[in-house]
Amino acid sequence: MPLNEVTKLYETLNKEFNSANPNLQKCGEYLEKLKIAMIEFQFIAPEGEAQDQKILLLTREILEIGALWSIRVKDIPSFERYIAQLKTYYHDYSNLPQSPRMYSIIGLNLLRLLAQNRLSEFHTELETIEPDQLVSNIYIKHPVEIEQYLMEGSYNRVWNARANVPANEYLFFMDILVDTIRNDIASSSKKAYTSLPLSDFGSLLYFNNENEVLKFAKEHNLNINMAEKEYTL
Amino acid sequence: MEANKEIKDVEMEVVKSPEEEQKELLNLLLADIKQNVINLEKAVDNIETRFITRVLRTFPNIRRRLTDVALAKIINIHETESMELDQESNDKNQSKTYLPEVETYLCLLVLIYLHDKKEYEKGAELSSNYIERIISFNRRTMDMLAAKFYFYYSRFFELTNRLSSIRTTLLAAQRTTALRHDNESQATILNLLLRNYLYYNLVEQADKLVLKTTFPEEASNDQFARYMLYLGRIKAIQLDYTSANRYLLQAIRKAPQSSKTVGFLQAANKLSIIVQILMGEIPAKSVFKQPELKKSLEPYFHITQAVRVGDLTKFKETLNKYTSVFRADHTYTLILRLRHNVIKTGIRMISLSYSRISLRDICHKLQLDSEEDAEYIIAKAIRDGVIDATINHEEGYMKSKEIVDIYSTNEPQEAFNECITFCLNLRNESVKAMRFPSNAYRKELASAKEIDDEERKLAKEIEDGELDDDSMDGDY
Repeated sequence: MPLNEVTKLYETLNKEFNSANPNLQKCGEYLEKLKIAMIEFQFIAPEGEAQDQKILLLTREILEIGALWSIRVKDIPSFERYIAQLKTYYHDYSNLPQSPRMYSIIGLNLLRLLAQNRLSEFHTELETIEPDQLVSNIYIKHPVEIEQYLMEGSYNRVWNARANVPANEYLFFMDILVDTIRNDIASSSKKAYTSLPLSDFGSLLYFNNENEVLKFAKEHNLNINMAEKEYTL
Repeated sequence: MEANKEIKDVEMEVVKSPEEEQKELLNLLLADIKQNVINLEKAVDNIETRFITRVLRTFPNIRRRLTDVALAKIINIHETESMELDQESNDKNQSKTYLPEVETYLCLLVLIYLHDKKEYEKGAELSSNYIERIISFNRRTMDMLAAKFYFYYSRFFELTNRLSSIRTTLLAAQRTTALRHDNESQATILNLLLRNYLYYNLVEQADKLVLKTTFPEEASNDQFARYMLYLGRIKAIQLDYTSANRYLLQAIRKAPQSSKTVGFLQAANKLSIIVQILMGEIPAKSVFKQPELKKSLEPYFHITQAVRVGDLTKFKETLNKYTSVFRADHTYTLILRLRHNVIKTGIRMISLSYSRISLRDICHKLQLDSEEDAEYIIAKAIRDGVIDATINHEEGYMKSKEIVDIYSTNEPQEAFNECITFCLNLRNESVKAMRFPSNAYRKELASAKEIDDEERKLAKEIEDGELDDDSMDGDY
């Protein structure tokens, strides 16, 4: 596909994706076509230095939309692939003008690693970010703070952080994270409490009603004493 | 040679004008370099690397006395000699040939001279022009000289901020030296590559390089110590604190303990202290009291104090005060992780001192925001095995368990096991590190007297041989 066709297709994709109610199916199809076009132009793994600035910018935009789209359709492996390709664009081609979505996407990647409990990779990624951004940029600050809360064990702060996510896409990973912390809380409670009334246990786990608590308890083989409505070690 | 020099000095002391002094120094320098060239030729003839090591040991000495006049003279002499040799070999087919080792040695002298005069651009140019030739040589005796050359090649590019451009060349050179089993060069290049990646914080790529390559065992101790330091740093970032600690301790032990290597020891000690704290042990105060390291380790001393006491405000203050120092040392991200350790220590102190304490009071002592916070944190601490206690949720207090007789548990056995493994490892490494001269060499020196003489000469050289300023640089 010649360059101007690619550009036109990209613009249609952009409009569709950023509209109020995007048709994710169609976006997926556009992305497939664009990916093939990029390979034909050898965009994805450019060789040598003499590449057109425009082409590089275009590819980067397409990859960014691809990453965000993967989250909307809840496809995590696809997200990982887009991020891997985007990383070269962010780190090695630093002479390109900075993308406005760069830090948001980097932050999303960090949160994904946290949600999947891949802590060593999380820290390795953290090293590649400039130290000033760690404390000032809201997109990066959010996952960094969450990691601190998780290490300390103050899960209520993680729960509250759900309310102030810097972007909607973060919510997806926060939900996965909540599952992880529920497991953590359950295992801590096993060792820390001798016995606990059910309602309190439910609030500890951020469940709203009793049935969810019971279901959760059964999955994790916790002892529930129904008669006294208590949870015991 | 030393006796001759002394006699000469006594004779000349009578009259000496500045020009004569200059000439004297120049001649001495030329004589030394000539001696080195002879040593190099001996090395090639006998294929013994000991002579090359001797040549390299005189490096710091000669380096200080180099002048441009001397260099020009030497190169002229060498060129005329080599041209004569070419002519002669055409006429008589002589066996004496023009040695690339000598050429590389002279090139190294020029590079060092440029480096000391801070002509980094020129140095970078010269080394990048010459590196193709170095890689094309396939001679066993070039190994050590080539290793030094690669080191300066990378150093010049680092000093001119163009480090990323040489990565491909270094990677290619690494494969070639690995194929040829040039151990010293391979080790040096591996370290240079790791340094390259870590300079740009590309920890993931550094890690992959380590996974795919093996460090040659026969390389010198200097390179091995560097390699351990880089490995330790990578592991610490990846949260593997036990391995990191092991590597860093080895690096500190293997590094030469002289005044020139203080920079390296400082860097290794800083990392080692932080890793120890992250593992939960407080480093001994004696570590901070060593005279050469005292000043540079001061910020780390304050951080250790804050962690030991469990005081979160003091930790935050120290962190803010020394932020620039930590950033320069590349340890800032690691120290951020220590925040959790501060809280852990605080909780442990409280649990030990109180048999029962309300959650609200814990909240105040640890300066946490709410009781909920405190409850979750303590529950996690209990699960991690930091403290032995239970929480009573309705009445809102934490109750510590009774102290158990520690000897009836497995703890003493595990402590003994650790000590024994450590001692055995130390012994094994010492045995491996011992080196004996080959039997063939011993047969050459027929009489015992000769053997004695040689050993005495060697010992004296090792004693006199100082270390290069560059060998162990501060910025890691």
